[in-house]
Amino acid sequence: MNIPKELKYSEEHEWVKVEDGKVRIGITDFAQDELGDIVFVELPEAGDEVEADEPFGSVESVKTVSELYAPISGKVLEVNEDLDDSPEFVNESPYEKAWMIVVEPSDESEIEKLMDADAYEKMISEE
Amino acid sequence: MKYINNQDIMDITINFAIEEYALTELDINETYLLFYSMTPTVIVGKNQNTVEEINMDYVRENNVTVCRRLSGGGAVYNDEGDLSFSFITKDDGSSFNNYKKFTEPVVRALRNMGVNAELLGRNDLLVDGKKISGNAQFSTRGRMFSHGTLMFDVNLDNVAKALNPDPEKYLSKGIKSVRSRVTNIRDHLKEDMDIHQFKEMLLQYIFEGEKGIPEYKLTEKDWKRIMEIAEKRYRNWDWVYGKSPEFNVKQTKRFPSGKVDVRLEVKKGLIEQAAIFGDFFAVGDIHDIEKRLVGVKYKREDLMDALTDIDASYYLGKISKEEFVNMLF
Repeated sequence: MNIPKELKYSEEHEWVKVEDGKVRIGITDFAQDELGDIVFVELPEAGDEVEADEPFGSVESVKTVSELYAPISGKVLEVNEDLDDSPEFVNESPYEKAWMIVVEPSDESEIEKLMDADAYEKMISEE
Repeated sequence: MKYINNQDIMDITINFAIEEYALTELDINETYLLFYSMTPTVIVGKNQNTVEEINMDYVRENNVTVCRRLSGGGAVYNDEGDLSFSFITKDDGSSFNNYKKFTEPVVRALRNMGVNAELLGRNDLLVDGKKISGNAQFSTRGRMFSHGTLMFDVNLDNVAKALNPDPEKYLSKGIKSVRSRVTNIRDHLKEDMDIHQFKEMLLQYIFEGEKGIPEYKLTEKDWKRIMEIAEKRYRNWDWVYGKSPEFNVKQTKRFPSGKVDVRLEVKKGLIEQAAIFGDFFAVGDIHDIEKRLVGVKYKREDLMDALTDIDASYYLGKISKEEFVNMLF
């Protein structure tokens, strides 16, 4: 299971990458593996607000529809539109090609509360 | 596990609302079982383009309800002869994705009735290679439901009629439906029974080993919320149609006065771009009509309203407003 050290993680299996005051968000390798082949990704639009622990979209896999939960609150700056045509990126490249949204955080302390790679690894090993 | 009696309500918008309510607002540690049949209804998957899946004319002329579900997958046509079942439960990590767990009691019951059903592919129940049940799941906040249709005695002629015969008119990134060969359970029974007896038998098998059938009785307060959910989501055009992934429409029609070719780009249910071509002869600049269409819901009534004060003959010649709006679907 790939869990990059430099990222932060939420209990709902999202990863967070801090980039000059902005935050890039996607789902983890563990999450994509659990979901199976992803066939559709539903995301918000640039300009929308997302709220920590609230759904900001959903993924449909061949097995199920699951909601995506925002790890932090803020304003959506960018949305990965490649996922419209290529939802399979989520399975193939969850940390690179399948980033989902870039958010301008409204409360930086929310990032601090997220897990580091070791804590996340421990959490999924206990699931 | 508790059984929720839906009082034999056949309105899909209420049944979906009961399901959603039990999922998100009842005891998070309880498992609920719900059954429902419905008046003729087409149900599309969470990420489908509704208009691409239904035969608009048939649906309108025959008062077929159209609804979108929370779970994924393709479009289905159901009626009073369908008995859908739904397990609403905790998402404990092992239930999620596990269709076997939820279809197994149903398969067991069917086999005892002489129906040689098996779970094939990922989430279909088949008899002799023909589908009798499609299943799908949705999960949110540690809860999930796994629901499935059971074609007991569905009017199979209407299945093909209600679903769109011409999906080429649309281009979208939504989930496409896969047509399957289907059959009714009733034709495979050792001993004939009606759908009510069938439901009772299923209940007995699913609650096998338990003392009676424990029931959760919906209270007045529950019903109030359920009706709110039905209204807010399942009867709402924005959910049923507007939620469709972005799509393009290409419609052409030959009228006595000429050919009309319309291209629309629809996003979040609203027309974002419109282009009209053709060789019908009229005086007005057709761009005026295109401009009128932009920003309007891709919905018959709203389009009629948007064109209400225009002089049809000035722009469309011998083509009436109704004819023009009708050809957009």
